[in-house]
Amino acid sequence: MLRYIDCIDAGTDFCPCTLAERKECIICPQLQDRNVCDCLNWKGTCMCQEFICNGLKSKKSREFKKFDIVETVKLREDLFQLDIKVTKGLARELNNIGSYVFLKREGDIEAYSTPSSIMNSDTVNNIISIVIRIVGPKTKALKEVEDKILVKGPYWNGIQGQRFLKELKNKSCLILARGVSAAPAVLAAKKVMENGNQVYVLLDRGRSTENFTKQKFKDLGCKVEDVSFFDRSGNISGENAAIIEHLLKKWGFKVVLSAGSDWFHRKMISFIRGLDKSINFSTVNNSIMCCGEGVCGSCEIINIRGERIRSCKQQYDPSEVFLKEMDN
Amino acid sequence: MKVVIIGGGWAGCAAAIQAKKSGADVLILERTDLLLGLGNVGGIMRNNGRFTAAEEMIALGAGDIFNITDRCARHKNIDFPGHKHAWLYDVTIIEPNVRRYIYDMGIDVFFEARAVDVSMDGKAIKGIYLHDGTLIEGDVFIETTGSTGPMGNCIKYGKGCSMCILRCPSYGPRVSISRRAGVEDLMGMREDGSYGAMSGSCKLNKDSLSKEIRDALNEKGVYVAQVPPEDVNLDKLKMKVCQQYALKEFAEQIVLLDTGHAKLMTSYYPLDKLRKIKGFENAKFEDPYSGGKANSIRYLSMAPRDNSMKVKGIDNLFCAGEKSGLFVGHTEAIVTGTLAGYNAVRTSIGLDPVELPVSLAVGDIIRYENSMKDTQEGIRKRYTFAGAGYFERMKELGLYTTDVAEIRERVERLRMEDFFRQRLI
Ligand SMILES: Cc1cc2nc3c(=O)[nH]c(=O)nc-3n(C[C@H](O)[C@H](O)[C@H](O)COP(=O)(O)OP(=O)(O)OC[C@H]3O[C@@H](n4cnc5c(N)ncnc54)[C@H](O)[C@@H]3O)c2cc1C
Ligand SMILES: Cc1cc2nc3c(=O)[nH]c(=O)nc-3n(C[C@H](O)[C@H](O)[C@H](O)COP(=O)(O)OP(=O)(O)OC[C@H]3O[C@@H](n4cnc5c(N)ncnc54)[C@H](O)[C@@H]3O)c2cc1C
Ligand code: FES
Repeated sequence: MLRYIDCIDAGTDFCPCTLAERKECIICPQLQDRNVCDCLNWKGTCMCQEFICNGLKSKKSREFKKFDIVETVKLREDLFQLDIKVTKGLARELNNIGSYVFLKREGDIEAYSTPSSIMNSDTVNNIISIVIRIVGPKTKALKEVEDKILVKGPYWNGIQGQRFLKELKNKSCLILARGVSAAPAVLAAKKVMENGNQVYVLLDRGRSTENFTKQKFKDLGCKVEDVSFFDRSGNISGENAAIIEHLLKKWGFKVVLSAGSDWFHRKMISFIRGLDKSINFSTVNNSIMCCGEGVCGSCEIINIRGERIRSCKQQYDPSEVFLKEMDN
Repeated sequence: MKVVIIGGGWAGCAAAIQAKKSGADVLILERTDLLLGLGNVGGIMRNNGRFTAAEEMIALGAGDIFNITDRCARHKNIDFPGHKHAWLYDVTIIEPNVRRYIYDMGIDVFFEARAVDVSMDGKAIKGIYLHDGTLIEGDVFIETTGSTGPMGNCIKYGKGCSMCILRCPSYGPRVSISRRAGVEDLMGMREDGSYGAMSGSCKLNKDSLSKEIRDALNEKGVYVAQVPPEDVNLDKLKMKVCQQYALKEFAEQIVLLDTGHAKLMTSYYPLDKLRKIKGFENAKFEDPYSGGKANSIRYLSMAPRDNSMKVKGIDNLFCAGEKSGLFVGHTEAIVTGTLAGYNAVRTSIGLDPVELPVSLAVGDIIRYENSMKDTQEGIRKRYTFAGAGYFERMKELGLYTTDVAEIRERVERLRMEDFFRQRLI
């Protein structure tokens, strides 16, 4: 397989970033400590040229900005949706696969920055929708916000293996989702369908009767089925294994988006790889993120080649991360 | 037996034609929508020692490309400062002519197919990955990706992207395949020890020049104007690739050659200064588009090779043209490309590769460049039959002649007439 190296920010308004100033650019060897042009993944601009023309300085980084909350909807005891009115530009930039922002309550210290996925970006009314599950201090703080909230973005690396979803045209894609991770899959489904693809969603009921995203997927025109993927011992139940196998045969999916925890990704990817080696995987990004700028290192993961990847910025091929041994 | 050629410049085209003549299946991968690479903006053939080299290749049975460039010549046997008996092919018609010839021979070409990585099996290349992840497999590979750019080099070692014919922003950067296969590149130097060199000529739109200049170019092929004394810049010569044109005359005078466009024998020329000169009031650059500011940077990506053109350290990779050394010129690319194409086929069927005899200029330059490149002095020089040091060497060794019968005799004495016409498979 072709080595899959990508920086989600390469060639955007945020490139070159501060990593270039420190000779740590993910893509450009000239902006590392190797004085050669040898970039593996060309995305239409030369960050070295941009960096030098910008007076050897990085572009401005993202900053927190204050926006109005237009609505807060309680979905469950521990689950609520925030609709935030943002600028036209930010709404447009967040209307992409894998978009996320950092949220923070006004007055809280920087440590409360919480990475949060965009479930939908309404580019007509400039409203972004985010669903938060309350688990600890940061998300509890977000529950306290009233009419204003601080938003830092846009960020785009909330889904790994995006290339597979973006390149899909007039084909079909399977989404397997569970819990709050289903939120970014809604936006992904919308974007994938814009390219003439059909989307089939298997939604885990979890502790509720149905996942909060069910109606949203239906409104987009996806085929949706409620399931309970796992039996008591945490294995994919025989019934669901049969459903997935049947769907793979019938629909000939080229890409599967796994929207759950990392444990969920591992289960799903190894099961499906066992059935069909040609399918590519995208996964919701569950890394711990603090800066989102490739600097702090909290999001670092290691792939099967032993390469360290700062997953807030860098894309990887999920099958190279969630499969213990590659059999291809 | 499949030969895959990466880069469709003059060196790649010559390698393809020769590999096909030797009996292989041949595929060219080219990242842009044009063959010939820098050959689309050159044109000068047969000047000084290049005449000898071209005739040697014709006598050796590798005259295919020279026949096309001769046929596409706008001017034959013209002289300009420091140069004699030059032929100028028409850059506006050369590419389609070569493309048709290549297709007629049954050579496959993938355009807009940028090679980005290799798949290895020990020290041998199994296949080449294209930018979209497609794997192209082959038995033997020839790298002719040139040495120009890409943008990071042009800004770091030059004055930024000048929007040259290679069009990196549109088609993506050149890639060093030998480096991807694990062999470090060699880098050429300038006189002052800095890396790379700037291309030495640009092209003006002929219609943007005065009628007097246009008429002179169409009729004689050459036009010379004086540079205003306050604008003479001798330092620019040191930056130049083309040491054969790095003469004082080229700083004090503007030398134009008619290659379809008006070829201006200087790296770049600020447009406002250029337009002060009589007849240039409306001048406009044709190549590079930003010829008022800069030109492309070259020679930062040479593969270490032996004299059969095989890349050292990789079992089945050959190289030619600027990728293979500090060679300047179409003729030089065609000569090295032909030998690489021939030897690629030989080795893939288990025969030893051959070197060209040093009693011919085409063999001597390949050997001489390789030995000089190892020295501090030699890495600062360029090697071309057309001038700089190498033409002097040709004269000293008695290699230079324009006597075609004499050249044929030299080749016959080596029993190598039509050498490149033999099929190997
Ligand atoms: C790109 C991205 C998008 C996300 N989108 C959503 C979303 O749309 N809705 C949602 O409810 N949650 C989302 N999360 C997860 C959310 O950020 C965490 O649940 C939250 O940060 C937990 O913080 P806490 O202080 O409430 O809980 P804590 O008690 O600090 O942590 C609970 C668990 O949450 C995880 N976590 C803690 N801090 C972080 C952090 N900085 N980054 C990521 N995970 C962390 C850890 O696994 C931890 O065990 C997303 C995470 C990422 C990386
Ligand atoms: C402005 C200018 C004028 C010149 N004028 C003359 C002249 O009049 N006479 C003369 O003899 N010489 C001239 N030269 C020099 C001469 O053109 C070159 O030395 C010679 O043509 C080099 O040929 P090449 O095949 O080695 O490289 P190139 O012409 O650079 O060809 C390399 C090819 O490889 C392709 N490529 C690169 N990377 C990849 C990749 N990863 N995948 C696929 N394809 C790839 C490129 O697109 C290109 O087509 C001139 C040069 C310049 C710049
Ligand atoms: S979150 Fe800081 S490096 Fe990725």
